[in-house]
Amino acid sequence: MKRQRWIALALALGATAALASTAGASPARVSGAQAVSCKSTLKIALVTPLTGGAGFIGNEQLSWAKYGVKTLAAKYGLKITLLAGDTPVEQGPAPAQALAQKYVGDKSVVAVLGPATSGAVAATSKTYFDAGLAHISPSATRTSLTKGTPREATAAFFRVVPGDYIQGPSDANYMITKLNAKKVVLIDFQEPYSVGLADAAQAVLKAKGVTTIRESTSVKTTDFSSLVTKVPNDADIVFFPSQQPEDAQTFGQQLLEQGKKAKVFGGDGTNSPDKFKLTGSYVSNFAPDISGFAYNKALIAGWKKDNPGATLGSFGPPAYLAVQVALNAIKKACDLGNGEIKDRRDVVRNVKRIVVKNSILGGDFRFSTKSNDPLNAKFYIFQIQSNGTYKLVG
Amino acid sequence: MDTFIQLTLNGLTLGSVYALIALGYSLVYGILKLLNFAHGDVFMVGSFIGFGALQLLGGSTDPIVPVWLLLILITLAAMAGCAVLGVAIERFAYRPLRDAPRIAPLISALGVSFFLAYSVQLMFGSQQRDYDAFSLDGGVLFLTGFNIGNVRVPLLRIVIILSAFVLMVLLWLLVTKTRTGKAMRATSYDREAAAMMGIDIDKVIVFAFVLGSALAGAAGVMFALRAPTAATIGFIAGLKGFTAAVIGGIGSIPGAMAGGLILGFAEAFTQGYISTRWSDLFVFVILIAFMLLRPQGLFGKADIKKV
Amino acid sequence: MTDPNEQQGPRIGKDEWVARHGDNRARRAGIAGTIEERLRGVPWWAWLALFTGAVCLLPLGVDSGYARRIAFDTVIYMLLALGLNVVVGWGGLLDLGYVAFFGVGAYTYAFLSSDKFDLHLPAILTIPLACAVGGAIGLLVGLPSRRLVGDYLAIVTLFFFQIFLTVTNNGENLFGTDVTGGPNGIINVDPLGLFGRELPVSTDGVFNVSYLYVALAAFVVVYVALRFADQSRTGRAWRSLREDPLAAELMGMPVSWLKLMAFAFGAAVAALAGTLVTALNASVFPQSFEFPLLITIYTMVILGGAGSQAGVVMGAILISVLLEVLREPGDARGLFYAVGLLGLFAAFRFSSRLAVVLGGTIAFGLVAHAVAGAVNDMWTAGLEGDGSRLGGWATHWVIVPADLASWVTPVSYIGLVALTLVLTLLRGWNRIALLVPTLYLAAFVWENVMLVKPEPTRFVILGALLVAVMVARPEGILGEKRVEIV
Repeated sequence: MKRQRWIALALALGATAALASTAGASPARVSGAQAVSCKSTLKIALVTPLTGGAGFIGNEQLSWAKYGVKTLAAKYGLKITLLAGDTPVEQGPAPAQALAQKYVGDKSVVAVLGPATSGAVAATSKTYFDAGLAHISPSATRTSLTKGTPREATAAFFRVVPGDYIQGPSDANYMITKLNAKKVVLIDFQEPYSVGLADAAQAVLKAKGVTTIRESTSVKTTDFSSLVTKVPNDADIVFFPSQQPEDAQTFGQQLLEQGKKAKVFGGDGTNSPDKFKLTGSYVSNFAPDISGFAYNKALIAGWKKDNPGATLGSFGPPAYLAVQVALNAIKKACDLGNGEIKDRRDVVRNVKRIVVKNSILGGDFRFSTKSNDPLNAKFYIFQIQSNGTYKLVG
Repeated sequence: MDTFIQLTLNGLTLGSVYALIALGYSLVYGILKLLNFAHGDVFMVGSFIGFGALQLLGGSTDPIVPVWLLLILITLAAMAGCAVLGVAIERFAYRPLRDAPRIAPLISALGVSFFLAYSVQLMFGSQQRDYDAFSLDGGVLFLTGFNIGNVRVPLLRIVIILSAFVLMVLLWLLVTKTRTGKAMRATSYDREAAAMMGIDIDKVIVFAFVLGSALAGAAGVMFALRAPTAATIGFIAGLKGFTAAVIGGIGSIPGAMAGGLILGFAEAFTQGYISTRWSDLFVFVILIAFMLLRPQGLFGKADIKKV
Repeated sequence: MTDPNEQQGPRIGKDEWVARHGDNRARRAGIAGTIEERLRGVPWWAWLALFTGAVCLLPLGVDSGYARRIAFDTVIYMLLALGLNVVVGWGGLLDLGYVAFFGVGAYTYAFLSSDKFDLHLPAILTIPLACAVGGAIGLLVGLPSRRLVGDYLAIVTLFFFQIFLTVTNNGENLFGTDVTGGPNGIINVDPLGLFGRELPVSTDGVFNVSYLYVALAAFVVVYVALRFADQSRTGRAWRSLREDPLAAELMGMPVSWLKLMAFAFGAAVAALAGTLVTALNASVFPQSFEFPLLITIYTMVILGGAGSQAGVVMGAILISVLLEVLREPGDARGLFYAVGLLGLFAAFRFSSRLAVVLGGTIAFGLVAHAVAGAVNDMWTAGLEGDGSRLGGWATHWVIVPADLASWVTPVSYIGLVALTLVLTLLRGWNRIALLVPTLYLAAFVWENVMLVKPEPTRFVILGALLVAVMVARPEGILGEKRVEIV
C-alpha cells in the first residue's frame, strides 16, 4: 500500500513539474489587432453596477447611454450596439475583470464606457490599455486614475467628469471663502470615493488654517447618532461625501435632532432633489442643472419620452457625453482608416482631440492637454431651498 | 457632560433595539439550542413591511390617520408579518433538521438568511428606504420632547425606549405567568422529558418563533423610524443582536435585555469617546473575550452537559 | 401500510443501526448496476488524471481571455472548496471566517511581492510563506475551538472575519502607517516568478493561459496531499472526531490538536488560492472578500457533499458554471428550462405522471398566454426575441408584460415561494395538480423578475440551494450519509 502511495505521489509531482515547465510558454494568439469594417455593426460596452447597492447609478447611466446610441449613431453614420456589463459593488473588482476579458476578446467592441466605479477602473485599466481599448468613464473620479503612476493612470483611460482633486478643493474653497467656516468635520465611509474626496478637501482646509476633524464610519451605517454626537457644537460644516442621498438626509435630520448648528455639505453622490432635501444644506455637482441650457431642451424631452416616469438625475448625462465622445472618436478612426478601423488603438489615439460643442453638461467639452480629464472642469455648489429645489450659489 | 448624556441616550435607544433582537435569539436558542442566523434578516424584513404599511397609509407627509395610530398600525403589521415569516422558516428550514447533526440547521439558517436578504433585494431593489419620520406632522417626533441639561430628548426616542420596554415586560409576563410560557421553559430544560409529560413540542417551538420574530419585526420598525433601512442591514443587526444575547446569557430573558442595553452603551461610548472607525472591532473583541472567559454570559447558568 | 411516498432508506437520526455506509452496497439491477460497479472500481488518481488532462486540453478548444478567466476562477473555487472540506467535511467544524484566510494569503503575497513595502521576493518563497502565515492564523483562530462547540465556534470565526474586513478596509492609517492600503487596496503586485523567469500576466490585455496551468498544478498537489492526509491516521482521527467528539476523546485522541490541525490545513489551502488570485489580478482589494463569497463556497461544499473531495470539486464546478451562465439573460433562460425539465425527469422518470405534468403545464401556459394577449396586447408584448429559438418559443408561452406594474414583482415572487413550500406538504394527485400552475408561475417569475436582475437572483438561488440540499439530501451529491449519535 505504501509503495502505491509513493508511486502516486511521484506521478502527481511529475505531472505538476511538467505542467509548470509549460508555464511561461508562448501565450495564445491575440485577436485585438484585426481590422473591423465600419459598415458592420460595431459594439460599445457600458461597464457599471446595474444591480446591488449602487445599481441606481448604473441604471441611470444605462438609460442615457441607450438614448445616446439611439440618437447619435445614425448621425455619425455608424451602426452601434450597446452592450451592458454589470459590476455590482458588493462583488469587488472580480466581475469587472471578467468583463474586461470578455470585451477585450471581442474584436467588434471598439470602445468601453466605464468602468463606472474607481475600484473597477483601477483593477482593469491595465488590461484595457494593453489591449488598446479606449475606456471612457462617466463617473470614476479617483484622482490617481489620471494623475497617478503610469501603471495606474493609463493612456487609454479617459473621463468626462472632473476628478476628486477638483471637487475636494473646490468644495473646500467655497466653505472657506463663502461660508466662513472655521471648524469642519469631514466624514468618510471607508470606500474609495469618499476617502479620496475627504482627503482632498481636508488637505485644502488644513492648508488654509481651518480646524478639521476627520471621522469615519462603515458605508453600511444608516444610524449616525453617535457620529452626530461627536460633531462639536461649534462646528460649521459637516462634509458628507456619501453616495446615498438618504444618508445625507438622515444625517442632517439627526443634526437637527441633537441641536447641532452644523450644516451638511454633500458631494456629487448626494445630488438627488427628491431624496436629499434638507433646507439649508449644500450639495456640489460637476454640472449645473442641465435643463437650464436651452439647447438641452429637445434632448431632455426626447429622453423623457423614452423613459416615462424616470427622474432626471446627475449620473445619467455624463454617460450621454461619454457616448458622444466615444462615437466621435470611432468616426474619426473610421475616416482615417478609409472605412475600417485597422486597430482599436486608433480609437484611443483620437479620443484626446475630440471637441464637443454645446455639450450636455454645459459649454464646450474638450480634454485637458495635461491629463485625460476634462479641461477647465469646475464644480458647482448648490444650496437647498425651503421648497426643496437646488439653487446655484457657487 | 452633555456629550455623556447624549451618548447615554444613544446607547439606550440602540440598546432597546438590540435587546428586542437578542430576545428572539435567546428564545429560540433556549429551546432548540440553535442559533437562528436568519433572525437578523427577519428584523430587516420587519422594517420593510413597516415601510410598506406606511406607504399604504399615505406615507409620512400625508398620512390618513393620526401619528400615534400610524405608528401602532405599522408596528403591528410588521410584527404580524414577521411572525408568519418566522413560522414558515421554522416549518420548512429547521423542523426537518431537528434530529440531524448540529451543523445541519446552522447551515440551513445561513442559507435562509442569505435567501431572505437577496429576495428582498430582488423584489424591491437595493435602494435604501427612508420612513422619513421627520416629516410626520411637521417633525413633532423629533423636535418636541423634554430636556436633560442641554440635551434634548426627542419624543421619538422616548416612544421607542418605552415601547421596547413594554414589549419586553409583556414577553416576560407571557413566559413566566402563562401555561404556554411554562411549557416553553420546561422544553428548554429538557426536551424529551417535556415531551413525555405531554407537552406538544412542535407547538411550543412554533410559539417561541412567533414571539421572537414578532419582537424582531417591532425592532425593525423602531430602527427604521430613525434611520433608513436597506436589504443589507440584516446581517450586521443579527450579529449585534447575537452579541447582546451572549453577553447577557443566551437562553435567559432578563439576560437578553441586559445584554442588549450593555451592547448599546458599549457601542455608543466607544464611538463617542474612542473612535467610530474601530468601534465595531472593539465590540467584537469584547464578545470574543466574553465567549472565552464567561460563555454563559452575565445571567446564564453554566451549561453542564449530561453525558 | 407503508406510504409509498415515504422516503426509502435509513432516516438520519432515527435508524442508526441501519445507516451503515461503506462496503455494504446493494447492486442496482441491470446495466446500470454493472456500469456503477465498474465506475466505482476506478481508482481516485485515475479520475484526477483524467480530469486534469481534460482541463489542460480545454484551451485548445475554447480560446478566449474570457473563457480562460472563467476557467481560472473555477479552479480557484475548487481549491477553496477543497480547503473548506477539510474544516467542515472532515473536522465537522463550522468555520464562518474561511474567506478571511483567503484574504490573508492574498494580502501576504501582496505585501511580499509588490511596491508596497518594496519587497519583491520570488514566488517560490512567497507562496509557501503565505501558506504558512495562513496556516498560523488558522491555528490562532482555531484556538477558541478548544473551549467552544458548534454555534459558538461559528460565531467566533464569523467575528474574526469581520475583524479581518475592518482591518483591511481601514488599514490605511494603522498607527500612522499605510499598511493595507485601505479601501483602495494594493496594486502593482508582481506576477508569479517561477524558476527565475517572470510569468507575464497578460499579453495585449488577454490573460496568459499559463496561469491556468499553474492553478491547475496547485490544485493537483493540494488534492493529492489532502487525499493522503485523509487516508492517514489524521484523517481517520478527524472522522472519529466529527462523528462523536466525546468518544474520540475517551479513546485518547488529541481532540483539541485535531481541531487546530483541521483549521490550519483549511486556512493554508485558502491562503494558497489567495496568492494565485492576487498574482493574476496584480492587485488585491478588500471588497473581494465579502460574505457572499463565503456562502458561495459553502454551497459548493454542501452541494457536492461535505467530506468527499471529488464531491466538493464537482460542486465547485457546477456552481461556478451556474453563476457564469446566470450573467447572460439569454443563456440563463435556457438554463432555467433545461434544469426544470431535468428536474421533472428525475422526479417522475418516464411515467404517465410526467406526461400529465409536462402536458398540463404547456397547455396551461398556452391558454394563459392567449387569454392575457386577448385581454390586453401590452400584457404579452414585453419579450423581445433575442434571436434564439428558445427565446422565440418562450414569447408564445410565458406572459411577459411590456410594462410591469411594481406590485406584480413582489406578489408573484412571494406567491411562488409560498406555493413551492405548500407543494412540499402535499402528496399524490394534489401535489401534481398544484405543480402545474406552480411551474408556470415559476417561468413567469423567472422571465419577469429574476432575469431582469441577475445579481440578486444568483444569490437567491444559492441560498435556496443551501437550504434545499440540507433539508432534502444533506450528504450532497457524493458525500456520505452521516448519523450523529446524540
